[in-house]
Amino acid sequence: MDFEALWLTLRLAGCTTAILLVAGLPLSWWIASGHGARRALVQAVVALPLVLPPTVLGYYLLVAMGPLTAPGRFLMRLFGHPLAFSFSGLLVGSVLYSLPFAVQPLVAGFGAVDRGYVEAAEGLGSSPWRTFWRVVLPMSRASLLTSLVLAFTHTVGEFGVVLMLGGNIPGATRTLSISLYDLVQDGNYGAANRTALVLLGFAMVALLAIYLLPSLRKMDGRQADVVR
Amino acid sequence: MSGSLLTVKSDSLLTVKMEHRVGTVALNVSFALTQPWTVLFGPSGSGKTTVLRTIAGFVRPDAGRVVYGTDVLVDRETGVFVPAHERPVRSAGQAARLFPHMSVRTNVLFGSGWYSKPDEELELADQVLELFHLGGFAKRMPRDLSGGERQRVSIARTVVSAVTFGGPNTALLLLDEPFSGLDVALRDELLAELRDWLRRWKTPVLSVTHDVGEAFQLGAEVIKIADGRVVQQGPAGEVLAMERRRLMEQLQAGGMSLEA
Repeated sequence: MDFEALWLTLRLAGCTTAILLVAGLPLSWWIASGHGARRALVQAVVALPLVLPPTVLGYYLLVAMGPLTAPGRFLMRLFGHPLAFSFSGLLVGSVLYSLPFAVQPLVAGFGAVDRGYVEAAEGLGSSPWRTFWRVVLPMSRASLLTSLVLAFTHTVGEFGVVLMLGGNIPGATRTLSISLYDLVQDGNYGAANRTALVLLGFAMVALLAIYLLPSLRKMDGRQADVVR
Repeated sequence: MSGSLLTVKSDSLLTVKMEHRVGTVALNVSFALTQPWTVLFGPSGSGKTTVLRTIAGFVRPDAGRVVYGTDVLVDRETGVFVPAHERPVRSAGQAARLFPHMSVRTNVLFGSGWYSKPDEELELADQVLELFHLGGFAKRMPRDLSGGERQRVSIARTVVSAVTFGGPNTALLLLDEPFSGLDVALRDELLAELRDWLRRWKTPVLSVTHDVGEAFQLGAEVIKIADGRVVQQGPAGEVLAMERRRLMEQLQAGGMSLEA
C-alpha cells in the first residue's frame, strides 16, 4: 500500500473539511433562513457537484486555473506556480466537489430548528450572531456531525476531479483512489486489494459514526420539542 | 373611561398606533400605556397577539408608529424599524420554547444583562425561580419538566431578562397568555407575587389574556379589543363589568344544575 498516498489523502480531506466548516456554516444558515430566487440559485449551484460528472468540474477548474484565463494568470502570479497539478489546486477542487455534502445536512438541520426558538432568543435581547452560536447550532449538533463526516469521507473518495486537476504526482496529488487505479493498471492486485479495503473500511466506519449516535440526535430541536 | 386616553398621552410609557391585516382581521388600534401593568383583553382571533408581536419586533405593521418612552421603535412613515433584539422590550410567547440543551438555570439566565456580575446574576435567577415555585428545578433539563413548569420557566426567563436590562431606561415586559395552562389557585398566587415583585423593579408590563379572572386578579388597567379595534380602556372593574356579570351568572347556573 502507498502510505504517502494515504497521508496525502487524509491531509487533503482534513483541510477540505476545515474550509467547508468555516464557509459552510454561514452559507447554510443564510440558505435556511429564508426563501427566494437568489437562495434557490445559490442552492442549485451548491448542489451541482451531486449531478455533474466530476470530470466536468475538473475540466473547468483546470482551464480556469491555467494560463489561458485572467484569474488563472492572477493565481499563478500569487502562488508562483500554476495551481493545477498542485496540492492547493486539488484543495480548491475538493472544496467545490464536497460542498453539497457539507451544506445540505446543515441546511436541513437549521431548517428543522423551529423559528419559535430564534424568536424566543431575540425576545430576550439576543443578537442574531449570539442566537446562532448559542441556540441554533447546538440544536443542530447531529446535522453538524453528519456534515463534517460526509465532507471528509466524500473527499477521501473523490477520483474524477483529482485525475483531471491533479494528475498523478506522488506526495502532491496522488491520493489513495488514484493509487488504487494505478495498482490495477499495473496488475498489482495484492496491493490493490489492501488499498480498496482501507477505503471501504474507512467509509463504513464514518457512516456508522453518523448512524450510531442517536444520543446526539435526541438533542435536535425537532425531537426535544415533541412534548410542547 | 376610553375618552381619557388622549389627555394622559404626555406621561404615557408606550404609545401604539397601528394598522395591520392578518387573515380576515383588519387591525386598527391606538392606545397608550400609563399604568405599571396593563392587560390586553379580547376573544381569540381579535388580534391581541399581533399587537404584542408588533411591539416586540416580530411583526412589521402595514402602517403606524410605536414609541416607548423617548425611543421610536416603529414608524412606517419615516421607515424606522428597530430589530427585535435591539428594542428595550423583553417578550415571552404563548409557547414556552425553552432551549432544550440548557438547564433551567442556564435558560433563565440566557437573556440576563448582568453577565459582568455573575454572583448577583445567580442570586437573582434563584430568587426568580423561587418566586415561580420552581426552587428545586435549577439543574433540571427542559425535557424533564411538565408543560406548566416549562411555561413558568419561560416567564421567569423573560422576567430576569427584563429586570437586568442594561439600557438607560427600564425594559417593557410583554407576556402573551402567561399563565393560561395553570390551575386557578396557583395562577392567582403567582400573578399577585409577580405583580408586587415587578413593581419593586419598576418594570412595566403589557400582558395578553382572554381570561376575565386573570384581569381582575391583577387589578390592572384593561384595554379591551374586539374585531381588531380598541373598544374600551380603563380599570378592570369598569371595563370588564359585563363580562364579570355574565361569568357570575354562568357560575350560578352551573351551581344550580349541580344541586338539582
